[in-house]
Amino acid sequence: MSAIDDQTDVERVVAGDISAFEGIVRRWQGPLINLAYRFCHDRGRAEEMAQEVFLRTYRSLRQWRKDAVFSTWLFALATNLYRSELRRIPAWTVPLEVIAEPVDARPSDGGLEDHDRDLAVRRAVGVLPAKYREALILFYFHDMDVASAARSLGLPEGTVKARLSRGREMLRSKLPQLLAVPRLKEA
Amino acid sequence: MRRLIGHDQIGDENELNRILSREDEILPSSGFAVSVMDAVRREAAAPPPIPFPWKSAMAGLVVGGLAMGLVLVAGIFVLVQSGREATTAHFSMPLPSTLPPMFNGGVEAAAIWTVLALLLALISVKLSMRLAFGRA
Repeated sequence: MSAIDDQTDVERVVAGDISAFEGIVRRWQGPLINLAYRFCHDRGRAEEMAQEVFLRTYRSLRQWRKDAVFSTWLFALATNLYRSELRRIPAWTVPLEVIAEPVDARPSDGGLEDHDRDLAVRRAVGVLPAKYREALILFYFHDMDVASAARSLGLPEGTVKARLSRGREMLRSKLPQLLAVPRLKEA
Repeated sequence: MRRLIGHDQIGDENELNRILSREDEILPSSGFAVSVMDAVRREAAAPPPIPFPWKSAMAGLVVGGLAMGLVLVAGIFVLVQSGREATTAHFSMPLPSTLPPMFNGGVEAAAIWTVLALLLALISVKLSMRLAFGRA
């Protein structure tokens, strides 16, 4: 995705050419919907939240000071909105304590299926306290780039690192049975 | 063929990274961009929000502030006066005499205060009407 394309489209929209905003929507709809989906795990709600982000972006395009690339500004705006939306109406979750680990983590073939284990871990992430969950979501959304996650969250990198570490620690303590499971992989 | 690759632990950071990086991607629905652009066009076509009429409101706020100040000064004056009189008369003074002299000036003074109060009310009503209906 080209930062130059973004800048050109923003300038055209600010000059009054609304149709140029479509370029921004088409370029960023996927990432914004996927980020929203990671927050709420509800496809319909993810699209609604992403649409609201685009509307707010349109309203505040003039406030984008070009000292940061457009995508950084856009993700910060989106993260802010998603976090407040989730605070207002939380995603459906169950407490971390009641997430059931498999009674026997090893299925009959001797290894826990990747899918089940991945699902259990993602569910556990979903019920972490918000500040750890948000740090983990943003970190993995930005391909494990702490700096990008920190910019999206509007927090210092050190704070994000500390929250990531604490979040992982909580996951380990809440899913201990999955820690010692031999894993089979297709050769 | 499957082979045992060892006791990987999800507690291991690499394993956690592997699991959480592999989140399912979803595709936007086909009409998403169109619906966003419709919403943006509606937003652009809507008249801009009416700014708060600070200029008109300022006069009202100043008058209101002055009136509040007057009431406050009068209230403090009454309290001080009544306190002073209460100490001398051991709380036995009748209520009308606790009022400051300006309230005890007879019919003429009362008429002046009534006119002033009515004038203040009229100004408040006029300003409110002006704020509510613009400059009409």
